[in-house]
Amino acid sequence: MGGGNAPRRLSGMQKQVLALYRGFLRAARSKSPDDRRRIDSVVSSEFRRNAHQVDRKNFLYIEYLLRRGKKQLDQLKSPDTTGLSSLSFAPPSQSVGSHK
Amino acid sequence: MAATARSALLKYLRVPVKPSLPSNPLPFTLLLRRFSEEVRGSFLDKSEVTDRVVSVVKNFQKVEPSKVTPNAHFQNDLGLDSLDTVEIVMALEEEFGFEIPDNEADKISSIDLAVDFIASHPQAK
Repeated sequence: MGGGNAPRRLSGMQKQVLALYRGFLRAARSKSPDDRRRIDSVVSSEFRRNAHQVDRKNFLYIEYLLRRGKKQLDQLKSPDTTGLSSLSFAPPSQSVGSHK
Repeated sequence: MAATARSALLKYLRVPVKPSLPSNPLPFTLLLRRFSEEVRGSFLDKSEVTDRVVSVVKNFQKVEPSKVTPNAHFQNDLGLDSLDTVEIVMALEEEFGFEIPDNEADKISSIDLAVDFIASHPQAK
């Protein structure tokens, strides 16, 4: 994610991460303004936390996070889901959505 | 999403209604021009696009508004990261009422690139 002065060249994996982030923000648009604000802030802090903590060469783990994120996004897209109950701390199996 | 964008846009747009027909009816050529613009979709004026893009970026919480110039680069000049850039491009989608596909969005890394893309896009409102 780092800056640098060279023109930005994104790796395929970076593009996938950014596309996933975009997907979450798009899905949040369809929720109520309050839910949207909460979802945006949880999603944003989760992506930023991983951007800082995860070694950028740890491809296996990043791939795992991408897969987990895609599943969570699919659940968020369901009209019944109104929020993400703390993505980061809950076990992966039940981390998304107050109800399915 | 379309509904939010639409209502945000409608809040933004205020067209003054002047009952102009009885006093000075529209010239025929003007009617013709309007018709043809509707058919091919109209492009926004570039300087208007620049103003609106600059103000969207200035409103972004992490940006120092005084640093925002029409050719500022998001990462190099404004100190934003790639996640911030995604957020800005999403805010531009809402401002201009159309969706920017991923492969285009990934290329938008500065204000002038955003302006070029939006000004060349007939669906931008």
